[in-house]
Amino acid sequence: MLTRRNLLKKSAFSGMTLLALEVFYATRGIPTAPDSLGHSFEFLTPNERGILSKLTPVILAESLPESTEGRELAVKEVIVGWDIAVNGLPILTQKEIRKLFAVLNSNFIFSLTPRLLTGVTEAWDNFDEIEEFLNDWRLSDPDSLLTANELRVGYIGMVELTMASWYANTRSWSFCGYPGPPVLY
Amino acid sequence: MSDLRNKTPDLVVEGLKQGWKHIDASGLTEDKIFEADVVIIGSGAGGGNTSEILAQAGLNVIILEEGPLQTTRDFHMKEDEAYSNLYQESAGRQTMDRGIKIFQGRMVGGGTGINWTTCFRTPPSTLKFWTEEMQVNGFSENEMRPWFEWVEHRYQIQDWEVSPNANNSVLETGCEKLGISWGKIRRNVAGCLNLGYCGTGCPTNAKQSTLVTTIPGALKEGATLISKAKAENFEIKNGKIHELKCHAMNLRGNNPGRQSLTIKARHFVLSAGAIGSPAVILRSKNKILNPYGIVGTRTFLHPVNISGAVMPFPVHGEYGAPQTIFSDHYIETRINNKKPGFKLECPPLQPMLVSTTLEGHGKVHANIMRKRPFLHALIGLQRDGFHPESIGGKVYLKSDSTPGLDYPVSNYVWEGIRDAFIAMAELQFASGAKTVAPVHRDAKLYQNIKEAKIAIASLPMETLKARLFSAHVMGGCPMGEDSTKSVVNSKGLHHEVENLSVFDGSVFPTSIATNPMESIFAVTAKFATELANRLVS
Repeated sequence: MLTRRNLLKKSAFSGMTLLALEVFYATRGIPTAPDSLGHSFEFLTPNERGILSKLTPVILAESLPESTEGRELAVKEVIVGWDIAVNGLPILTQKEIRKLFAVLNSNFIFSLTPRLLTGVTEAWDNFDEIEEFLNDWRLSDPDSLLTANELRVGYIGMVELTMASWYANTRSWSFCGYPGPPVLY
Repeated sequence: MSDLRNKTPDLVVEGLKQGWKHIDASGLTEDKIFEADVVIIGSGAGGGNTSEILAQAGLNVIILEEGPLQTTRDFHMKEDEAYSNLYQESAGRQTMDRGIKIFQGRMVGGGTGINWTTCFRTPPSTLKFWTEEMQVNGFSENEMRPWFEWVEHRYQIQDWEVSPNANNSVLETGCEKLGISWGKIRRNVAGCLNLGYCGTGCPTNAKQSTLVTTIPGALKEGATLISKAKAENFEIKNGKIHELKCHAMNLRGNNPGRQSLTIKARHFVLSAGAIGSPAVILRSKNKILNPYGIVGTRTFLHPVNISGAVMPFPVHGEYGAPQTIFSDHYIETRINNKKPGFKLECPPLQPMLVSTTLEGHGKVHANIMRKRPFLHALIGLQRDGFHPESIGGKVYLKSDSTPGLDYPVSNYVWEGIRDAFIAMAELQFASGAKTVAPVHRDAKLYQNIKEAKIAIASLPMETLKARLFSAHVMGGCPMGEDSTKSVVNSKGLHHEVENLSVFDGSVFPTSIATNPMESIFAVTAKFATELANRLVS
């Protein structure tokens, strides 16, 4: 039976390389990068920015502004913050993040493959589908291309960078009741 | 610009205007050679302290620092700026299996620039263990007392009379209710406004980091500070260090830049901290520096686990001196080491720190963040290094020669961590918490101690599930009189290489079992005074 879990099993994709997957998903309607807000991106590729634009609302949920415009602007700013932060990390860490995106893409693509193969690309707009994927990832579903620990490390890295970018942003401060740094009178 | 900012003097900027010598290596356009009597690698608790003593003794000193020179006026209390500019790896350094997140400073001032001002003398039980079990001489309580007094004076380490903030009060109340011992933390501050932003760099000169005390002291005496310059390795000739190879960092300061620096000196002092100092020796790849393979081993972390709690009253843990109450109850009652002991303290609760520490994402995470003003947190610091099943971790070099730390947590230490989860939950409920949230992948939100205890008893104590942290990295170049088991002697001098000393927290043969800054000050004051006498005579 073709279930999501079966699709994630190593054996089903033993021949495929990550590069082949990049080509695969590049032609399958992965979300495009949102507006750059004038920031010149040093690390994130347009594909990665597209992925983040879909993951971020699920990771940050109700902490994002309620209005559509507010939420969209916030997500764009989170992605800019991501880029600035990653650009300041050690080179080896940057390489790991690059790999994390490639693996994230491939795992997510696998979980959605039946629908993508039929040309249905709205999967990326399905909030619940992404939420379910993130929860499986958080708990490190062992039936996948990576070990449980590798999955877990990737999850923590992705979520932490997103949280750091959002909660460094003054737009998040009223949500979490933070008055900001004191003014020195 | 606010009034106080205008009035707060920036000592270092003023000093530079009057001729203090500073070179920002990231601005060099060609390779350079420097020469001095002594080069000190690192400007933190050990290096800063040492630099003033040696410079005042009349020696020509170079202070080398990997991080940037950022000063009082650069500290804006913004978390993102601080973590990225002032911490190792943007506050994202981790152990090899990613199980422990490590906070270390990387700036002029080192860890003292971004720590939470907590000062304790080395516990007598630690000094006793070193003397009796680790072949260390000269470190009895009596012999160390004058050095503690000296550094307490120099760094204005004193009782803090202001009431604890609500976050710390929860610990105090919980201890009172449970009838366990607690105490007040002494701090290296003068004129502190109780703002709570020690961790992002003190904006008022209150925190007596080396940046505003002993580094200026050294610069006044003619020392030269070279910032954004990373020590790579020693070149050995005829059994002594001939020169130190360094490279400049790039403009942003987070990765290597283009230029190289070579430093020649009579004597070399490694003060790059645990992880940093062993890394320089390992990169030097010379057997004489590490004949028995000890360097990098026995690296300790005081592994920390965290318990959050939602209180029925506003806590606003972002405000107020971050650490003012502690409990050593679980150290004192476990001193026989059958179970690992742990110290209890509080962390500050600014939003970036809280959000990247809490488990999970989405709705559950957002709900806790929404309650942040009511959030309190406790941290448990494990006393590692005093038991055969607690031998610490090992520093190694990654593929690009940057340092890593492999610290596998033993079952013995994991049980201490489980006990700390339980102890923290007990304290929090006793203090009136509505909900307790142990920071663990599988933990839920618990509404009473019975429920919490049952759950914690069966939470898997495994890496990446119980989230661990460290702000105290110690060991890796242990001192001792047995040269087959230590790297330096009880004076911090390398056993084999006569012009190398290690003056920082990497010399500790075990963890300190309390916040280590004052120990690093006192031990390096002792070492540096001895070295100054030796070099000047």
